[in-house]
Amino acid sequence: MPRISHTRPGEGRTLPRPDSDHGWLRTVRDGFFSGWISGAITVVFVAGLATILPSVWRWAVADAVWYTTDPSACRAASGACWAVVAEKYRVILFGTYPYDQHWRGALVVLFVTGLAVLSSVPRLWSARLFVVWAVAAVTVAVLMFGGIFGLPYVGTNQWGGLPLTMIVFITSVVFGLPLAVVLALGRRSHLPVIRAVCIGVIEIVRGLPLVSVLFMMIILLPLFLPSDLTVDKLLRALIGMVVFFGAYAAEVVRGGLQAIPAGQYDAAKALGLGYWPSMFKIILPQALRIVIPALMNDIIRAFKNTTFVSVIGIFDMLGATKASLRDVDWVRYSTEAYIFVALVFFLYCFAMSRYSQFIETRLGREDTR
Amino acid sequence: MTQALVKIDGLQKWYADFHALRDVTLHVGAGERVVICGPSGSGKSSLVRCVNRLEPHQGGRIEVAGTVLDDSPAAVHRIRLLSGMVFQQFNLFPHLTVLENLTLGPIHALRQTASQAEAHAMQLLERVRVADQALKFPGQLSGGQQQRVAIARALMTNPQLLLFDEPTSSLDPEMVSEVLDVMIELAREGVTMIVVTHEMGFARAVADLVVFMDQGEVVESAPPATFFANPANDRTRQFLAKLDLAA
Repeated sequence: MPRISHTRPGEGRTLPRPDSDHGWLRTVRDGFFSGWISGAITVVFVAGLATILPSVWRWAVADAVWYTTDPSACRAASGACWAVVAEKYRVILFGTYPYDQHWRGALVVLFVTGLAVLSSVPRLWSARLFVVWAVAAVTVAVLMFGGIFGLPYVGTNQWGGLPLTMIVFITSVVFGLPLAVVLALGRRSHLPVIRAVCIGVIEIVRGLPLVSVLFMMIILLPLFLPSDLTVDKLLRALIGMVVFFGAYAAEVVRGGLQAIPAGQYDAAKALGLGYWPSMFKIILPQALRIVIPALMNDIIRAFKNTTFVSVIGIFDMLGATKASLRDVDWVRYSTEAYIFVALVFFLYCFAMSRYSQFIETRLGREDTR
Repeated sequence: MTQALVKIDGLQKWYADFHALRDVTLHVGAGERVVICGPSGSGKSSLVRCVNRLEPHQGGRIEVAGTVLDDSPAAVHRIRLLSGMVFQQFNLFPHLTVLENLTLGPIHALRQTASQAEAHAMQLLERVRVADQALKFPGQLSGGQQQRVAIARALMTNPQLLLFDEPTSSLDPEMVSEVLDVMIELAREGVTMIVVTHEMGFARAVADLVVFMDQGEVVESAPPATFFANPANDRTRQFLAKLDLAA
């Protein structure tokens, strides 16, 4: 005979959870000593930190030289020589750009960083942003090149440091993303020629290291172009970076396109919508939204990939740092200089990483609405 | 019978080597309502999806309102504009509001202005009784509300023909009637409809013709009175018996 008990409507009581007691002692026990394996890991980890941290502290802080213009003061000390950063930061941040014009590079960095932050605020997303970025591109070009408004002309061969890093990064992403969309759509095209070209570009570029893509742009491209047509070295490198980013991101976008249910295409067709309105109004907005987290990953990688341009003699921030350390008095302290550069890279990449998490949860929330 | 709006003659369709539609002939007059039923895999969905070229056919002939459906994009486009379609899974666009779901087609396919399309959309939402949800996203609506929005969307081009592909099959039972009520109203207004459904009550109420399909063939077709009272074919009888058990 089955036994079942019924609660009369309204008579079921709301009870507190029995395990809702959370003292700090309990948190520590549950988190770090919940069993003998967990306890052992905690002990080993703490012991490891205790061995390493003191020597790190001695080198980086206690015995370090924070500021001096005299390299011999560093030589006398046993710790880090952070003074190298103060001594060389202008070259690290602005490379071979004329010293008295560094303020222009600094303005570019502030301007682009500020604009990137503004563009990340979902409330400000609108078509107007494209106009703002177009204006920004012109402003950056005027600042960097000069030649008008009384600014002395500075050729791209003298550009360097953080402004160059940002220009390479933003260009790769801003032109690379539309290229990625075109390649991804082309790869799914019903027209065999378009499909073949897109597959070809994606697979060839993905099959090559970035360094060789850049060398191809620098060395091979001039061989194919008419001899009286010279393309600026930086521009060639930028084209290489854009194509490289585009090919990788194209596969991410394609993943998003494949995630859209067939019913969406059916509905678009049944409404009499053509290919382009279907894509731009229905399929792509959904597909891109799905792949934003994966795209952010590619975008962060693009920031770090900018360092590759130094192998073809363009002084991005890392290349400029290396160049600045040709000074025999300071070359011993390259570690400290590279740690400083690493910190700058980390700040930008970590900010983007946090942002991608924010955008992921935000979009996740929209999906459940 | 008036001049046929939809003429399907000797239609043949294959999915790879699977022969999905075998010599199907069906004429639907302007203002007529045809209900197509049959077991799953009988080709009834394929048939309606061929009418507006969501699926290509490999043999036979389809003509809608005087336009022969061939490979020419112009013919396909014309037929899609003069027919509206409602799907089993609603297929609303989840990233657009209800109102935008309705206006997207007319704005981009008919080049209507936004205000024109919005006014028309609000009228139709009123008619299917979801006007108060116009600014919400589809995900915020119940299944029944979503399907009524989908019906309104299909009506936006003032279609001469409505195609329904199992419009109530993915609805919770308590929401079926609110969708059927809207469909019955449309039927009474004289819209030409081809409806794939197992809702035999709907067939009895509004259908001029009930078509039973099995294994890609039209097995039997008759007005509902005859169809339900005196099914001629064994397979039809078996199918109806199963539906009765389920109901």
